[in-house]
Amino acid sequence: MPRVYVSSVIEVPVARVWERVRDFNALPRWVPAVRESRIENGEPADRVGCVRDFRLQNGDRLREQLLGLSDYEYFCSYSILESPMPLTNYVATLRLTPITDGDRTFAEWSAEFDCAPEVADGLVSNIGQNVFLAAFSALKRQMAA
Amino acid sequence: MPKVVRSTVIAAPIETVWAVLRDFNGHDRWHPAVAESQIERGQPADRIGCVRRFRLQDGSELRERLLTLSDADMAFSYCLLETPIPLLNYVAHVRLVPVTDADHTFWHWESRFDTPAGREAELATMVGENIYNGGFAAIREHLARGEG
Repeated sequence: MPRVYVSSVIEVPVARVWERVRDFNALPRWVPAVRESRIENGEPADRVGCVRDFRLQNGDRLREQLLGLSDYEYFCSYSILESPMPLTNYVATLRLTPITDGDRTFAEWSAEFDCAPEVADGLVSNIGQNVFLAAFSALKRQMAA
Repeated sequence: MPKVVRSTVIAAPIETVWAVLRDFNGHDRWHPAVAESQIERGQPADRIGCVRRFRLQDGSELRERLLTLSDADMAFSYCLLETPIPLLNYVAHVRLVPVTDADHTFWHWESRFDTPAGREAELATMVGENIYNGGFAAIREHLARGEG
């Protein structure tokens, strides 16, 4: 089962980062690749089990389901229900941990999924670099602004 | 029961930091508070259950038992067996996590313990500042000296 793992340091307190990323419907506010998002059936974005239906700048459409959300441990887990990527059983977790030294944030984003062996490396690289790391980079720029 | 958490980022690859920290008998080479250390009964320092007996710069002696050590998770746990400082039921956990976008290391160090009534805040500050933050600074200097 291929695994993606990316981590970074964001130079602001964890509460500020969490405020931005905990909203399961807020990808367009902080992920440059995402154009628009909505939660299906008018449900609250912090209701575990809700589904976000979002569209990328390139027109691709994804649906993802919220599996877990913790304001205490600062993590959000979700699965992909529909996407253009050739993968299944995709589960990802975005997690923040305070860095007490300097009151900063350690941010981790990981995912596991199943796919055909010949596309595994490409998917791991694409998700790690173009999705997770790109989102962290955007977040760092926004938080520094 | 006080809980103390301290964390930092070390500007070195995780393998470098883990190579220093995984040696349960190596803290006398980097922690300024520790004068000398030995593992009791000649056991290997990575044998779960081994006990390190060490002396601080002020002469006091402590004994700590290794509870968990994982090269896969780059983490270890230990408890205090004997100490002149009134930290009771003290269990600490150290874990390292890679900061992948910079090839640095996130270091998380936490513990829980009991204290005599009224001394919780004083001892929690001592552990967090003198031992954990002091240890962070000492590893930075240790690695900067090329003793990784």
